[in-house]
Amino acid sequence: MSFAFQLSSVTCQFGDFTALDSIGLNIEAGEQVALIGPSGSGKTTLLKVLNTTRRQEAGSFSVFGHEPEQLSPKELRAVRSTIATIPQHLGLVPNLTAVQNVILGQGGRRGLFRSIRDLLFPSAPDKFAIHELLDRVGIEEKLFSRVSELSGGQKQRVAIARALFQKPEALFADEPVSSVDPARAKDTIRLFRELSDELGFTLCVSLHDVTLAKEYFPRLIGLRAGKIVFDGAPQDLEGDALKALYQLSDEEMMRDA
Amino acid sequence: MPDPATASSSIGSKRWVFVGFTLIFLVCAWKLGLTPKGLIPADSNHWERTGRFFQAALQPALDYEDANVPDDAEPILVKGMRGILQTLKFAFGAMSLAVPTALVLGFFGSSAWWPEPCGKGTKMILRAVFGASRFLMSFLRSIHELIWALLFLSAMGVSPLAGMVALALPFSGTLGKVFSELIDEEARDAAEALKAIGHGPLQTFLVGIFPRALPNLITYSFYRFECALRSSAVLGFVGIETIGLYIQLSHEEFYYREVWTYLYLLIAMIVVVDLWGATIRRRLQTTEGGCV
Repeated sequence: MSFAFQLSSVTCQFGDFTALDSIGLNIEAGEQVALIGPSGSGKTTLLKVLNTTRRQEAGSFSVFGHEPEQLSPKELRAVRSTIATIPQHLGLVPNLTAVQNVILGQGGRRGLFRSIRDLLFPSAPDKFAIHELLDRVGIEEKLFSRVSELSGGQKQRVAIARALFQKPEALFADEPVSSVDPARAKDTIRLFRELSDELGFTLCVSLHDVTLAKEYFPRLIGLRAGKIVFDGAPQDLEGDALKALYQLSDEEMMRDA
Repeated sequence: MPDPATASSSIGSKRWVFVGFTLIFLVCAWKLGLTPKGLIPADSNHWERTGRFFQAALQPALDYEDANVPDDAEPILVKGMRGILQTLKFAFGAMSLAVPTALVLGFFGSSAWWPEPCGKGTKMILRAVFGASRFLMSFLRSIHELIWALLFLSAMGVSPLAGMVALALPFSGTLGKVFSELIDEEARDAAEALKAIGHGPLQTFLVGIFPRALPNLITYSFYRFECALRSSAVLGFVGIETIGLYIQLSHEEFYYREVWTYLYLLIAMIVVVDLWGATIRRRLQTTEGGCV
């Protein structure tokens, strides 16, 4: 069978630093995956490979049966328009309103001129649909607020709404709960899960919090120093497996000290 | 924390910079033949004139000092206001030409819209366009508006269009340069996020970077509008009919009280425009990023 995302021996380097070291990984359409591991283990780079914005130095990668490096810029944009990504710092335009930011979620499909028109004169059906989405994520009253005037949590909701308005086949979120309190973190992860169940998109979220990952995701992928050290169900991530992921080796302790 | 050793040495080098500038100043002053004595008027005639000029500040003319002005001429305040209005018209007209030109030049003088990655050939063309635009902007602003005005006046005669274009050219250069820099300094995180969901390079620029830079562009344009007002007034000195022309004519006849009337009107206009600009700046101010 063909997978939605297929990586074999993918290696990514930044100069001398190896961010991803010969990664082999398959993700099926509709799967819900948590990406866990310590800081600097390569989670962000892996997400960037998956959403086609980072090209690997070695190995092969295909998304929905396409190899990004074989595609023309136009075809690549078409593939990207089906993949939503919520970067760690959200990537919203701060002095545009919530509705303007969300409408840009469709920009990949709609193209240049339509996007400009959307910003200046959003159509009534779009405004209606975006109001529904903002209602779904709990900030419908912020439809015409400038993003810069929203709180951190509200900004994140706008970013989620933008991703949903895109009607994605897959949604990636990079450390979505790294800067929120535990209760809010749980709400956010639950929201991602519910949306994925409801709309059927593939979900891949990178997380620091193993407990949270184990509670909400049927499949966990553990990265450490650019290598996959765990790939399986939450109940299998116990004891030695967990240690292998997080416990510092003597060498690493020396380096950190 | 800075290393104390290098910190003290950087203070030392700053001291040498200061000493250097002082030396250059002294050499220039000597070469130009400047002496403190030059500040004092040479004869009693000059003293008297200086005194009259500053005295006139306290009693600006409400009627013409010139006895030859016919009785049915328009009152001086009306003439002054007409001059102010003319000054505004020139400044506004020049800015209306300069801002669109600067947007085009600034766009080509910025690298924020370049597709990434792109082929070698494309990159070379982009760099050439970038360089040409930067060069054109430097050229336009390296010539002062008064010199442009002299050029256009000798070519076209004293015409309003000559004055307007003379103002618009150097202003396009300065605005364009600052526009391109403001755009290039804008954060790229939103642009990256939009590219990742399939926006093209130009689209990313127009929806993800330009709107973000826009408040700063508007604020800067307002500041330049104030500069254009001053320059427009000065264009009067080369014969364009703005408040500067009236100031110059009255000054030539030693009608200092008239000069002050016009100066007060000019100051009042600048203050009003400044207040208006401040209101707009406040409205544009965002909690994040802010304005220059």
